[in-house]
Amino acid sequence: MRIRVAPAFWRAWVVVGLLVSGIGLADVLAADLKIEAQLVWGTADAKSPNPQHKPVEADILKKLRELPLKWSHYFEVTRKQVALPAKATRKFELGRCDIEITSLGGLDVEVTLLATGGKKIVKRTQAFPKGEILVLGGNAPNSTAWLAILKRID
Amino acid sequence: MALNDHSLADDVALVKAAQKGDMNAFEELVARHRDKIYARAFTMMRNEEDAVDLSQEAWVKGWQRLAQFQGDSSFGTWMTRIVINLCLDQLRKQKRQRAESIEEMTEESGGVERQMPVFTVNPTERLEREELRRRIDRAMDQMSHEHRTVLVLHAFEEMEYKEIARTMGCSIGTVMSRLFYARRKLAALLADVKNEEKWR
Amino acid sequence: MMDINEQLKLQAYLDGELGEAEAREMANRLTQDRESMALMAELRNTRQILVGFEKGIRLTESEDFYWSQIRRRIEAQQSRLPQLEHRVSWVSWFRRRLAPVTAMMLVAFAGLVAFRGTGYFGQSSATEVETALGDPGAFTYRDYSAGTTLVWLSYPAEN
Repeated sequence: MRIRVAPAFWRAWVVVGLLVSGIGLADVLAADLKIEAQLVWGTADAKSPNPQHKPVEADILKKLRELPLKWSHYFEVTRKQVALPAKATRKFELGRCDIEITSLGGLDVEVTLLATGGKKIVKRTQAFPKGEILVLGGNAPNSTAWLAILKRID
Repeated sequence: MALNDHSLADDVALVKAAQKGDMNAFEELVARHRDKIYARAFTMMRNEEDAVDLSQEAWVKGWQRLAQFQGDSSFGTWMTRIVINLCLDQLRKQKRQRAESIEEMTEESGGVERQMPVFTVNPTERLEREELRRRIDRAMDQMSHEHRTVLVLHAFEEMEYKEIARTMGCSIGTVMSRLFYARRKLAALLADVKNEEKWR
Repeated sequence: MMDINEQLKLQAYLDGELGEAEAREMANRLTQDRESMALMAELRNTRQILVGFEKGIRLTESEDFYWSQIRRRIEAQQSRLPQLEHRVSWVSWFRRRLAPVTAMMLVAFAGLVAFRGTGYFGQSSATEVETALGDPGAFTYRDYSAGTTLVWLSYPAEN
């Protein structure tokens, strides 16, 4: 029996059906992500001149020392937590820059670092399972460094 | 693959053949010098994708400008200068883009490196070559492109200060300052890596 | 303590860029001044350490592939018009024959990716995409075993 292929109208419905079933199920199965963001200052000095700075926690320190960074001491400047529903985007201020995180569904996230004024500096997309650390960093005056550390806590 | 008779010819003969439009002769030249041209692009760009792209672009430019090659220097040196200029153009473009989003750096000052204590970097001191390469790579990654470029032009191209100044479009004083900063930075970063390893 | 001009002069001596009289003066200084000696040793070692550094950098692409890309670029510049005509005819053939099939495959693939993203078929893909936008000077270091990723903006340089 020869089946007559439906014209563009039917093809379009097949396309829509596949998309809806794939994406819809993805939404149902996705869960909220809880991400903690810390702004950290890296230095060779054992003590920060700012008394409000406190040394970073041991687990973060261990991870930082395993990275190819030359600084020996890291101080927490500020910290924020953000809950991220599936397929949602959250933007928050961290120090003088903004961080924008988008949950892409499942474990994948897109993280964008924005400079003052909203200019995008760097964007990274990767899987972000629990316990994963993503560090965005750069040089700061006097041979020190700034580090925006994102950690998935739940 | 280049023809066998080309693989036996020297660079001068290959260039002459290529100048007459012999693409196989040019392919043989690419095969002989491609690693060096790529390595120079990679050292300057610190990025494999850019290095491949710019080194290939250099070969395209080389083909187009073959008629201008008079044999004053070796073909390898001539090609190296082409790829350096392409990398410099690209780095200047990138710098312009970066300057829009992040405030201009003060790389001429050299910062605290001038006040640093002297680090003794002994290349033979308990260092395997690969380990040393890894450390230099890391140090190069952390340098600004201006400092890295001066280091490359001086260390690998063996250019004199005034030639570097001409190539980079800056003063001899700036070249001296950048070279000094780059060397001290390299020494400091290599010393730092040593310290990191002691901690573990 | 040496000031910056003296330090730069010492470096110029090492690089053979000093005039005869100044070079003699510097050589003399190097026999007496420990600070100069130490700095000289550091600069010399740093210069020496770079010798042969580039020799270990090699293209990872195959010779044939690398050359084919160069050849394609050369030929593209030499004969833009014929290539354009070729591309146009190829595009029209694609439109007529392959576009509907390709569209269906893409949709099926999108559905599959959506399922994978949910973790329904196991852990999410390890595929990573990095895009440098305003700052192409960023580089990434990834330690899979520690679950740590570092994105370092190499600009501005340390100051």
